Amino acid sequence: MSLSVPLILQPLIILFLGAVLVPLVDVVGKRVNAEKLKDFFAVAIFALALYKLYTLYLEVAAEGYVEFTIPGFGPPFGSALRVDALSSFMSMLFCGVGLLVAIYSIRYMEEDTGLDKYYALLLAMVAGMVGVAFAWDFLTLFVFWETMAVSGYVLVGFRKYRWEPVEAGFKYLIMSTFGSILMFYGVSFLYGMTGTLNFTYMAETLLSQNNPYLYLVICMIVAGFGVTAAMVPFHTWLPDAHPAAPSGISAMLSGVVIKAGVYGMYRSVFTFFNPAFYNYGAVLMIFGVLTLTVANLMALLQRDIKRLFAYSSIVNIGYIITAAGIAAYALTTYYASSPILATSVAVFALAGGLFHVFNHAIGKGLLFLCSGCFLHEAKTRDLTILEGIGKRMPWTGVSLSIGLLALAGVPPLNGFWSKLFIILAGLSIPQDGYMVIITAILILNAIFSAAYYLWVMQRIMLKSPTERVAKVHEAPFSMVLPIALLASICVVVGAFPGPVLGLADTAAKSLLSFIIGG
Amino acid sequence: MALHPGWYITTSIILFAIGVYCLAVKRNMIKIVIGLEIITSAMHLNFIAMGYALSLVAFNPLTQVIVVISTGLGACVATVALMYVINAYRHYGSLDARRLRRLRW
Repeated sequence: MSLSVPLILQPLIILFLGAVLVPLVDVVGKRVNAEKLKDFFAVAIFALALYKLYTLYLEVAAEGYVEFTIPGFGPPFGSALRVDALSSFMSMLFCGVGLLVAIYSIRYMEEDTGLDKYYALLLAMVAGMVGVAFAWDFLTLFVFWETMAVSGYVLVGFRKYRWEPVEAGFKYLIMSTFGSILMFYGVSFLYGMTGTLNFTYMAETLLSQNNPYLYLVICMIVAGFGVTAAMVPFHTWLPDAHPAAPSGISAMLSGVVIKAGVYGMYRSVFTFFNPAFYNYGAVLMIFGVLTLTVANLMALLQRDIKRLFAYSSIVNIGYIITAAGIAAYALTTYYASSPILATSVAVFALAGGLFHVFNHAIGKGLLFLCSGCFLHEAKTRDLTILEGIGKRMPWTGVSLSIGLLALAGVPPLNGFWSKLFIILAGLSIPQDGYMVIITAILILNAIFSAAYYLWVMQRIMLKSPTERVAKVHEAPFSMVLPIALLASICVVVGAFPGPVLGLADTAAKSLLSFIIGG
Repeated sequence: MALHPGWYITTSIILFAIGVYCLAVKRNMIKIVIGLEIITSAMHLNFIAMGYALSLVAFNPLTQVIVVISTGLGACVATVALMYVINAYRHYGSLDARRLRRLRW
């Protein structure tokens, strides 16, 4: 089979086929008294898909991009897939976090029933996200987007016998569906202007147009993806949905699903709307720092450890959106006078933003999985009760500290580098007061958030254990393994940021190739 | 005699506004789901209208493909939404969305 199927389709087919086959494997597993067979099957599917994505990445690195169209029904009307450096970067991230979450879920979810559906939905969600990263026309993107979103809605409410997931899931469903429909409504206007949904053809027509009505469409698309990315006026679903979901799914939602929203925003904004005509960068910067500030203030009020991490996810989305804003603003303001400066600032900012996407996916996945370990062992998410639990669970505690330090931006760890890149890009044109003010707010917020990360770390690691947690033990090996892996990725990428930064840099350049032409 | 496509686009925008109003104001969970469906219909109508405006015949295959596929996806979303409504009803014995307010801050 693998000989005749194009390489670009293989990861998608493997993931979707896995999603369909998991219930069957479960039936077989129950027959032969191997209850865990489906779990290991799902892990194997993720590993295989990740390997295929890696081979695809090698081909992309050699050729620039790989494209697939249906013969006889190709562009401009037919469906198309294209993998460039950005898609490759994002899809490997999605699938990698999915693999670790699947390993984690083997023990974490063992008290639940209906796990065949859980793994099928997890595989479908990752397949949807990989498809979103691969899609090269809006219809394909929308189909994969809804696959991802519907699986996500069901997974948030997986423990539907409790009230919290039902409320949070309903809220998530209404807001996220509204966002995706708003996005597609905006796309319908673009369709009316271009007569196609294929990215290449749309970009050809749209990039040369200076039409003030397009601001409305930009608003719709940015807001639509912004709901999933949890940009501030649309963030309210996130702090409810993340704590209510099972911890593995929290890690998926926070680590990668909101990144799919960021990917959609980056891709559509920087492919179709020429910053020379539309100054959306200024607005994106304002929304970015608004996201940062609001989420930072809200995070201080939390007692629930997963809710605090959820607000910290919104904070990190703030950095990523600000990075996009800085890039677009630099291109708008300075491209006419000095194209080299503007382009290098934009690439710098976007590479920093994409590097932060990676770091936050790793770091926040780590934190949610750690909080899941605490929840599994101590049965509570309350920070006042969890005090000192790090002494009883040394592996989880140390990994949690590494994750917190990485997201706080402490120098030898990975979060430091990406924040540094975003800040340096913001300060690279010192005579521009607007960019400097935005960056100053960003720096203040970074320091502020570092303070409460350290506060959480002090409570978990340094205080003497409370009565409730004095009896807990370390989590099982298969739950500690993904956590330790993620923590070591934080340390290794922090020590050697070169390779990932190189990937992010190539991804940023391929993203900007439509606007600035190679 | 065919209508100008602008009429359809205007209707779609009005429908969208009605749907947003429905989402924002209605307290009954089923009515909120209906609001979502109204917005989806507005989006579909806009696609059809745009296809009509492009080709000036009421038949544009691409838009119809888009709308048929999107209708299928909308059905999935509606199913999951109604699943949540049923579960909420089992928990609270009511369809009033104001009761779903324990998750604040």
